[in-house]
Amino acid sequence: MAAPTLPNLAPTRTQRLVPTPPSEVRHNQTKGNWRRTARRQLLPLLLVLPALGLLGFMTLYPLGRLIATSFQNLGAFQLIQHKVQWNGLANYRSLFTSTELGTSVLQTFVFVTACVGLTMTIGTGVALLLRRIGNVLRIVVSVCMVLAWAMPTSASSVIWTWLFEQEYGVANDLLTQLGFHFTDHNWFGSEISAYSIIVANIVWGAVPFVAFMMYSSFTLVPRDLYEAAAIDGASPAATFRGVTMPIVRPIFVLMTVLSIIWDANVFNQVWYLTEGNAQMLNVIPLGVWQYIEAFSNNEYGLGAAVAVITILLLLAVTGYYIRIMVRTGQVKAAART
Amino acid sequence: MTATVTSMAGKSTARYRTMTWVWRAVAVLFAAVTVFPVYWMVQSAFEPNSEITSLTPSFFPLHFTLHDFVDAIDHTAGVGTAYFWDDARNSLFVVGTAVIVTLVFSFMAAAAISRFRLVGTTAFLVMILVVQMVPGTAMLIPVYLLLNGLHLTDTYLGLILAYSASTLPFTVWALKGFVRGVPIELEEAAMVDGASRLGAFFRILLPLVLPGLISSGIFAFITAWNDFVVANVFMTENFRQTLPVWLYSFSTNTGTDYGGLMAGCTIMSLPVVIFFLIVQRRIVSGLTAGAVTG
Repeated sequence: MAAPTLPNLAPTRTQRLVPTPPSEVRHNQTKGNWRRTARRQLLPLLLVLPALGLLGFMTLYPLGRLIATSFQNLGAFQLIQHKVQWNGLANYRSLFTSTELGTSVLQTFVFVTACVGLTMTIGTGVALLLRRIGNVLRIVVSVCMVLAWAMPTSASSVIWTWLFEQEYGVANDLLTQLGFHFTDHNWFGSEISAYSIIVANIVWGAVPFVAFMMYSSFTLVPRDLYEAAAIDGASPAATFRGVTMPIVRPIFVLMTVLSIIWDANVFNQVWYLTEGNAQMLNVIPLGVWQYIEAFSNNEYGLGAAVAVITILLLLAVTGYYIRIMVRTGQVKAAART
Repeated sequence: MTATVTSMAGKSTARYRTMTWVWRAVAVLFAAVTVFPVYWMVQSAFEPNSEITSLTPSFFPLHFTLHDFVDAIDHTAGVGTAYFWDDARNSLFVVGTAVIVTLVFSFMAAAAISRFRLVGTTAFLVMILVVQMVPGTAMLIPVYLLLNGLHLTDTYLGLILAYSASTLPFTVWALKGFVRGVPIELEEAAMVDGASRLGAFFRILLPLVLPGLISSGIFAFITAWNDFVVANVFMTENFRQTLPVWLYSFSTNTGTDYGGLMAGCTIMSLPVVIFFLIVQRRIVSGLTAGAVTG
């Protein structure tokens, strides 16, 4: 087993603090001569083509087809007969007139907010914690986190079902031993309690990544800034807000956006923990709902409409982040190198 | 002046020390909670059924047994549970092939993006970012319709294509960073010595970005290895499915055989945990680098 599992960020720090190395400046000059010899655009185009083709075939085209399908009546019959039956806005109309959409959107919002909020808070807290404890303990905590992080979601969902099993689950036993009366408590009896376990499972799996990322981002903060803050008599909270946060904000925002996407996208945990019977929960997240419409009820058109709504809602959140990246020139900078 | 500073420092050092002990206690508690589900999986996997179905669970297996593993692998009670070896082989083959395809394609794309001033690179990168933001479950319906129309459902090729496409955006983005880290002078030197442009890529650049290829590859491996939903929808025949689907049908068909289930989870998690321990450090540093410098 790799002994020190702590992320090493030395290269990142140099990248950030040291100005552009001379080699890169020269690289841009020599590039002109290079291109002439390299038949200009042909070779790079050939190199990009396979990736572009795969993305086009398996992602961009399906994305267009998803939007088209959401305006179609596509059931098992139409699928087998290869019939295209446009039905205009009927799918959307039936979604917007039903009460399910509103509750599902609200539920997804609360669910994702709970997951992301807990993950980011605990993750950042643990990252701060890792700085205050000794090396030995830090390695112990890191190893524990890596183990949790590495668990496949399908396996971890089965494990969590077992932990909270009604009769023989260890959670009920532990809680009873602590003096609470939890013998034979059915955790999946009510939706709130079932979702609490699903959220706990997700947060448990997501915290290590956020904690490691935040911990390594803290190493980007120059030590003399802390010294300056200490001389000025700033409290730890003020130092965190005024010194640490401004520097680690890009990573914090990235982690939040990634968490939002991942948690809005959660499927395995909901599916396994409710034993494939997600309909048993009256309220289901959008990602699971469109799956049920499409593959359990064979209403592909309706499922596609739910998926389109999900994508639009997510893009409203993440589009903001992409726009910042494009506007601040991060994408251009990435393209130039 | 000096006196007040030192006395203040003395006071806060004492408080700092107590707080350090408090934080250590919190850290131990957190580590215990974090590792407990993993520990419980392993300990249940080695426990005989009589101990698993005891109303007061013991925290160590009192009678060590491998019976649960035999149970998981050779289980024949329900439909779709007897396919452990088939599904393990499918998982390895499909995921392995998908990883290789992803790596080859994304290495070529990353090299082209980083080493040439290709028209439309910015658009390509924005597209990759946007594609990464689209939830995978939303893509399930159209990709299923596409592959179904091409008669590629229930084939390994369909699954390989789906996994390669879903991991490609991230691996291109990550490898771009790794290629950028290799000084271009090394390739220039090779070309001065008579290597072709492409030759320089494969003989100089490729070995130097090998660490990046390994960690991106393992990322792709983990993503594909963990997938349940795509395989569950695309593959209807039991002997063509993958391990997560096997685990799922095992759990719904056997219900309370938690010993066997935990053994199954252990087997499934083992390759991921091993790979993970190898690359965990790189994934974090690679991503932070990307977030800060673009």
